Amino acid sequence: MLYTVVPLEDVLEGLEEEPAPTMVLNVRGYSLEVELLEGLQARVVRLFSTDPEHYLLPHCQPGAVIKLKEF
Amino acid sequence: MYGQQESASPSEAGSQEKAVVHSIKELGQVSAPQAPEPEVQPFHCLTIIGQIEGHMVLPPRNKTTKYEHVIPQLVAIEQNPKIKGLLVVLNTVGGDIEAGLAIAEMLNTMKTPTVSLVLGGGHSIGAPIAVAADYSVISATATMTIHPIRLSGLVIGVPQTYEYLDKMQERVIRFIVEHSRVTQEVLREMMFRTGELVRDVGTVLVGEEAVRIGLIDEVGGLGVALARLNQMVQKNGEGGIQ
Repeated sequence: MLYTVVPLEDVLEGLEEEPAPTMVLNVRGYSLEVELLEGLQARVVRLFSTDPEHYLLPHCQPGAVIKLKEF
Repeated sequence: MYGQQESASPSEAGSQEKAVVHSIKELGQVSAPQAPEPEVQPFHCLTIIGQIEGHMVLPPRNKTTKYEHVIPQLVAIEQNPKIKGLLVVLNTVGGDIEAGLAIAEMLNTMKTPTVSLVLGGGHSIGAPIAVAADYSVISATATMTIHPIRLSGLVIGVPQTYEYLDKMQERVIRFIVEHSRVTQEVLREMMFRTGELVRDVGTVLVGEEAVRIGLIDEVGGLGVALARLNQMVQKNGEGGIQ
């Protein structure tokens, strides 16, 4: 249930569009759900980890673009 | 110059070796070389921006705060003894009730000192998050919209739906009243006020007004918020940043 000042139709605009396909990388003790980009890069969608410190890592923030060769 | 350095390093290595031998003699062990620990800032800053995203992934055009990511961050901050305080910066248009209240409850139950700073806007479900911090600050130009929860595009036809909506409303009101100086009567009056918002009931509070009704503690900016955080850290006997 949303409690927002933005009209619902604006919030939900584009909801029907299919989200980009993702894959999960299991690296360095955590899992990153990423969306593949061009040039061996990927955009972080979500982090899966039980170590809260991982959530403070800059490259684990949703939206961060990572180079795949470093992983 | 070069020669001096050359001659200096072997003697340095020699004294290091001596120290190791010394520690073996005295303690029977060699201390392992330690990697320098990464520097941790004493104050962390959490930004609550755009829509607060909950159970539903919002379309990519929305700027969102993802609660499943924010909550473990709060756990990490709470568990790290080097992090002395948390500044929560809000510029949000509201969002999911459950996610918003979850973040608010987490902030509220943290032992780490927290200060919230409302910049731009702290609307709808942003209000409970703002009041959840130990101390709340609003910038003079920031606004907070207090309005009832509604289901857009849906006619409330059955009593059950109304009751459910009312219950959700109660959760938000109760949280705000319990964690700020505003009274339930004042908050309700503002929430259902007519004539203030063009097409809706509710009230827009600008900076000072939010402080006057007791929702927020003080009008100010970054300086005020950080000074307050420092004060709280020092009160805890931790020694804030100079």
